[in-house]
Amino acid sequence: MKYITTLLITICVSVYGQDYSDLLKKIESSKPGDSQFLLRGYAHSGYEKRGEESSFVGGSFNPIFLWRQSDKLLFEAELELELEHGETALALEYANMAYELRDNLTVRVGMFLLPFGTFSERLHPRWINRLPSSPLGFGHDPIGPMRDMGIELRGNTKLGSRSLSYSLYSTNGPSLNDGEDHDLSEDEAGMLNYLNFEDNNSNKAIGGRLGIFPLASPALELGFSGQIAEVGNHETEYENTAANLYALDMSYVNNIIFLKGVVDLKGQLNQINVDDESYFSDEDSSSYSFLNQSQASYLQASFRPAYVRNSFVKNLEIVGRYSQIETPEGALWESNQSQYVVGLNYWLDWRTVLKIAYQVNESSAAGGHVEEDEHGDEGGDNAILIHWAFGF
Amino acid sequence: MIKSIKTTLGLATIIILSTMFITACSSQNPPLEKSGAQLWGENCVRCHNAPSPSAFSDNQWETVAMHMKIRANLNSSETAEIVEFLQMAN
Repeated sequence: MKYITTLLITICVSVYGQDYSDLLKKIESSKPGDSQFLLRGYAHSGYEKRGEESSFVGGSFNPIFLWRQSDKLLFEAELELELEHGETALALEYANMAYELRDNLTVRVGMFLLPFGTFSERLHPRWINRLPSSPLGFGHDPIGPMRDMGIELRGNTKLGSRSLSYSLYSTNGPSLNDGEDHDLSEDEAGMLNYLNFEDNNSNKAIGGRLGIFPLASPALELGFSGQIAEVGNHETEYENTAANLYALDMSYVNNIIFLKGVVDLKGQLNQINVDDESYFSDEDSSSYSFLNQSQASYLQASFRPAYVRNSFVKNLEIVGRYSQIETPEGALWESNQSQYVVGLNYWLDWRTVLKIAYQVNESSAAGGHVEEDEHGDEGGDNAILIHWAFGF
Repeated sequence: MIKSIKTTLGLATIIILSTMFITACSSQNPPLEKSGAQLWGENCVRCHNAPSPSAFSDNQWETVAMHMKIRANLNSSETAEIVEFLQMAN
């Protein structure tokens, strides 16, 4: 018996010793190293009934590629793949490199989401946006820039127990549709094009955002954004035409103990002022001009009873939003629309949500411009929207 | 359009006055060091639900946090506190 036990121990030590050595090798080979790659993103799909028409929609997928080169250097890029008018569309949302200069100062170079307000930079992803649609003027045909190519400095600083976030950037800036470019709609003369990835002039836009956290906690944030740029095409009569853009935004998110839930208030106002110019109309061979000012705004409130005991109720969230868009009176793209949306969400987990919403659109003046939804469809009718969104 | 400008100026005035009021009413005590858990709870929910610590691996949290540090304008020490908490709770 003694011999058998000794033999078994010898075999075990021999076998496990070998395994232990292999295990050590495996652990060594799976060390993360300095570089780390992570694929994140979000996806959504749903069903929409607009007026008399209904359709399953979406199927869009936004992969986000993160490459962490070191503790200080990060590359980020996002693609958007979606079905648009029956075809698969692929778009580069952003691609940039960020380098941490100091503890509270980072420089970014490339194509990035602009800190012009907060919706485009932080709130537009489907799993973050509390409603299935974007506010009027903040979707695919925005009043205000959403992304651009350039360089940005950003960070934050402490003021006692309060803090202040800041960003300052220089980019290609928007370009003016002067009605003379045959690739653009003549009816949209005077409108700004924010996807100006090959600059139309030598002037660069300068802009930035200041975010103030007036409370000791970051529950309340008030933001002020601005951008100035010459927007006219090089060597045209509009070369010196300038635009100044600004945005005000607010966010309040806090636990309300007596309501046993979380209140989330968000709002933003974008105002675009472009120098007044005369544009030529081919239709009656005459010139016309207008006060070129546009505005879009939204206010959204949501409540989630996250601290009640019932496991179903605690995952529900009610949402309401008002948004409006107003484009210049006298322009061929004159528009004055408003929208009310109420919605009910159910959170399957912290990043997966089922959203049901009813959307009412009102229009008091519409020339050639009608705000489009995310799929490029005109969003004039009242709608029932049922979406699910998934972040990963 | 004059209405729009008035609305804008009105909103700006309300925001500035609110800021002054809230700042004046807020505590003037020196700032207290916040824990990683508190920073996680306060900052993530500014945009989205706070993530579960088990959503990513310890290594992945470092990349996620660096991404969010830039997007949400956090500083390095706050980010390090949050990562430490998430890795510990993971």
